[in-house]
Amino acid sequence: MAKYIIRRLLWVIVLLFLVSLITFVIFYLLPSADPATLRAGRQPNPAVVAQIRHNLGLDKPWYTQYFNYMKALVLHFNFGYSYTNNVNVRTLIFDRLPATISLTVGAAILFLVLGIGVGTISAVRRRSKFDRAAMGTALVAISAPVYWLGLLALFVFAKDIGKVPIFPGASSYVPISQSPTKWFTSLLLPWIVLAASFAAIYARLLRANLIEVMSEDYIRTARAKGLSERRVIYHHGIRSAITPIVTAAGLDIGVLLGGAILTETVFNIPGIGRLAYDSILAGDLPMIQGTVLLGAFFIVIMNLVVDVAYAFIDPRVRYS
Amino acid sequence: MRRYLRSLPLLATAVASVVIAGCGGSSSSSSSSTSTGSTAAKNGGAVTVLEVGGGVLSLDPGYWYYQTDYTDLYQPTQRALYGFTPQAASPVPDLATSQPILSNGGKTLTFHIRPGVHYSAPLASRTVAAADIKYAMERCFAAGVGNGYAFSYFNRIVGAPSKPTTTVPSVSGITAPNASTLVITTTVPVGVLTVPNALALPCTVPIPQDYAAKYDTGAQSTYGMHQVFTGPYMISGAGTGTVPSSGYQTGKLLALVRNPSWVKSTDPIRPAHFDTITFKGGNDITVASQQILSGQSLMSGDFAAPPPAILKQGLTSSQKSQFQIAPSGGNRYIALNTTVKPLDNVNFRRAIAAVLNRNALRLTRGGPAIGTVATHFLPPQNPGFQQAGGTAGDPANDFYANPNGNVALAESYMKKAGYPTGQYTGPPLLTIADNEPPAANTAQAVQSQLGQIGIKLTFREVPHATMLSKYCEVPKAAVAICPTLGWGRDFFDSQSFITPLFYGPNIIPSGNSNMSQVNVPALNTQMQAAEQLTDATQRASAWANLDKEITSQVYVVTWLWDNEVGFHSTNVNGVQWPFNGNDWDLTASSLK
Repeated sequence: MAKYIIRRLLWVIVLLFLVSLITFVIFYLLPSADPATLRAGRQPNPAVVAQIRHNLGLDKPWYTQYFNYMKALVLHFNFGYSYTNNVNVRTLIFDRLPATISLTVGAAILFLVLGIGVGTISAVRRRSKFDRAAMGTALVAISAPVYWLGLLALFVFAKDIGKVPIFPGASSYVPISQSPTKWFTSLLLPWIVLAASFAAIYARLLRANLIEVMSEDYIRTARAKGLSERRVIYHHGIRSAITPIVTAAGLDIGVLLGGAILTETVFNIPGIGRLAYDSILAGDLPMIQGTVLLGAFFIVIMNLVVDVAYAFIDPRVRYS
Repeated sequence: MRRYLRSLPLLATAVASVVIAGCGGSSSSSSSSTSTGSTAAKNGGAVTVLEVGGGVLSLDPGYWYYQTDYTDLYQPTQRALYGFTPQAASPVPDLATSQPILSNGGKTLTFHIRPGVHYSAPLASRTVAAADIKYAMERCFAAGVGNGYAFSYFNRIVGAPSKPTTTVPSVSGITAPNASTLVITTTVPVGVLTVPNALALPCTVPIPQDYAAKYDTGAQSTYGMHQVFTGPYMISGAGTGTVPSSGYQTGKLLALVRNPSWVKSTDPIRPAHFDTITFKGGNDITVASQQILSGQSLMSGDFAAPPPAILKQGLTSSQKSQFQIAPSGGNRYIALNTTVKPLDNVNFRRAIAAVLNRNALRLTRGGPAIGTVATHFLPPQNPGFQQAGGTAGDPANDFYANPNGNVALAESYMKKAGYPTGQYTGPPLLTIADNEPPAANTAQAVQSQLGQIGIKLTFREVPHATMLSKYCEVPKAAVAICPTLGWGRDFFDSQSFITPLFYGPNIIPSGNSNMSQVNVPALNTQMQAAEQLTDATQRASAWANLDKEITSQVYVVTWLWDNEVGFHSTNVNGVQWPFNGNDWDLTASSLK
C-alpha cells in the first residue's frame, strides 16, 4: 500500500507539471487578453506598452517564461505576481483558500449525509410515498441551475432581501478565525444551495445501485444465514453499492476545492472560484496558473484518497 | 481619454464597452431626484458601497485613471493641484490657491501652493510643499508607476521624457523655486494645462520624494501600499506607514476612515460627511442591487446600472427616489475600420449608420433610462456638444435622422457605394464583440440589423479584455467592425474625447484606440491646432467642428450617449460627480 501511495504521489507531480504546461500553452495559443496593453491605460504610448511587457517578462519566448515560472515555483514556491494588480499570487490564493474549503467541506458533509440517507431509504422503501417524493425532489434539484437556486434562496430566505428572513444573506461570510458562530450561520444557505444538486445526484445513484445490489445472490445468502435486515443492508448492501458514490464524491470535492464559482459569486464568498473567474476575464496568467494548479492538485489528491478508500470499503480491492 | 473600468455584469474591470454605463435621454432621466441629492446633508455615519468587480487595481495615485479609482480613492483620500466639485464644470483650485498664472505666451505656468495642508501619519507634522507635486508629476513618467496619461498631457513640458524611464526622471520644465511656488514650462501652449484640466488628474497628488523614493525603485513601485494621505479620509490602519489587510484586501475590501490630519478649512472641495466608507467587492450584481434598494446605508459601486429588470421595476415603484440618473458624459459606438474594404467607402459606412436601429440597440442595455440615442459623437456635458448639433444633431446627416433605422435610405447609400441592388454582395466582414450581456446582446442586434442590407459578418464573441487587447486595439488583426465599444472623457474638455480615437499618429501596433484607423492629414492638423488653443470657448468650437466632420464621415456609428444610473438606500443622500462620469462624490454624499 505504501509503495502504491508513493508511486501515485510521484505521478501527481508529473501530472501537475503537465497541467501547468498545458495551461501555459493554451494561454499563448488561444485568444486571450494582452496583459501589457490592459495595464497601459487608454491610448498608451507604445514605449509604455513595451516597458510593461518587459517588466512582466512578456517579451521573452513563451518557453523561457515557462521555465522561469517553474523555476520560481519549484525553488521558492513562488507563483509570481498578478499582471492586473501586482499582488503576490500565492498570498492571494492562500488568502482565498479558507473560504473555499469552508464552503466545500460543509457542502460535502451535507450532500453526503443527505444523498446517502435519502438514497438508502428510497431503495429500501422502493415505490413508497417517501421514495416518490424524494426522487421527484431530487429531479428538481438536479435540474435547477446553482446560480438560479442561489438567487431564489436569497430572495426567499436571506435576512436582508428575503421574504422569509431566516439566514444571513450574501456578503455575510466571516472567516472562522473571526467568529465561528457567524462563520457557521453565514455559510448555511450557501451550503444548502451548493449541496442540493450533489445530494440529489448521489441519492438517485445510490438508490439505483442499492436496488441492484440487494438482488444479488450474496445478499440472499446473508438473509438465509439469519442476519437482521438492518445488518444485511448496512454491512453488505450499502458497502458494495456505495463504491461509485465514493468515486463521484472524491472528484466532486476535488473540483469544488478548486472553486465553486457560481455559489461563491451569488453569495459573495471570497474564494478561489471567483478569483479564477476574474483572472480568466482579465488575462491574468499568473493568477490563472495558480488557481488551475491548485484545482488540479485537489483533484488528483482526492483521486488518490478515493483509490485508497476503496481498499477499506471494498474487500475485493487490494493494492500490492 | 479615460476608459471606465467598471464591471458590467461582468467585470472585468471594466471597460470601454463594459464600462460605460447605460445612457439615456434626458427625457428618460429620473425626475424624482437630482444629481446633488434631495435632502440636507448630515454629518457622520457609515456607508457601504457594494461593488461587483474588484474595485481599484492599484493604491498608487500615479496609477489611478479609472472611474472606480477616482470614486473610491482619489476624491476621498487625496488632494491634487486642482479638483472638481459636484457643481463645477471647470477645475477648481485645491492645493493651488488660484488658477494658473500664465506668462511667456501661455508657455510658463506658475502656481502658489495652499499653506497648512498636512499629510497623514507617519508624516503628520509635515505640510505639502511645491517640491512634492513636482516629484509626483515626475514619477508619472516612470515605468514602475504605470501611469496612463502623462505621455498624453504632460509630453509638452520642457524636458519631459518621450518614453517611460526605469527610474523617476528629473523634468527640467517642472521647478519648485520655493516651498509654496511651482512653475511648469512647456514648449508650446497646452490648452489642458492653461485651463488646468490635466492638472486635476491624480499625477498632481503630492508625494514627498524623501519619503517615497525608496518605494519607487524596482520594476513596480510599492508606494501605494505605504502612501500618505492629504484628503479627508485615509485607508484604515495606514497611519503606520503600511496599508494593513484590515484596510485593504485585493478585490474584497477597502475601508476608509477619517484622516486626523485633514483640516476642513483648508479644503474648498470636500465636505466629507461620512465617518467611514467601506467598499465591498465581488458581489453578484442582481443580489447587490436588491440589497442596496431594500437595505440601509448602502450605495451602488463599480457597476453601470442594475440589471434591466430591477431598473425597470425600481423606476416604476416607490424605489424611484433611490435612483439618480444623469448623463455620464460618455458614449457607446461601433468602430468601422476604414482600412478594410468596403468600409473605406464613406457611402458604405453611411449605409450602416442608416440601417442601424439605435432605439433597438438601446433596448439591449435597458431602454431609455440608460441613455439618449446619439446623433453625433460628442455626448452632452462635453464642450462643443451644442455647437456640434446638440441633441438633434446636424440635419445634413440624414443617416442619423431616424433613430429606428431607415432601410430605404441605407439601400440608397449602398447603391452609391457600388452595390446596384442596394444589398451587399461581398465577403463576410470580421466582427469581434463582447461575449457577456448586455454588450453581447447589442452585438447580436447589430448583426441582425446589418443583415437588412445584406451585410454578412464573420461574428466572434470573446471576453471584453480579449476583444480589446487582442483584436480591436490591434491593427494587424484587421477587424472590420467592433460593435461594443464606449468612451469616457478625462475631464471637461473634448480633446480627451476626439484625439485618442481619430488622430492618425495615434495608430499604434497594440493598445490602439483609433480603432477605425482614421488617418486624415487635414483632421490631424485640425486636432493639433485645437490642442494648443488656450481659450475655452475657442477650444469648444474647434472640437465641435471636428465632431461634425467625424460624424459626417461615419468613422464610427455613435448610437448612445450614456447615463450614469446611481442608486442607494433610502437613508442615503447620494451626490453625483459630473467630472467622474456622474459616479458618486462620496465626500459630498451623506446620510439623511
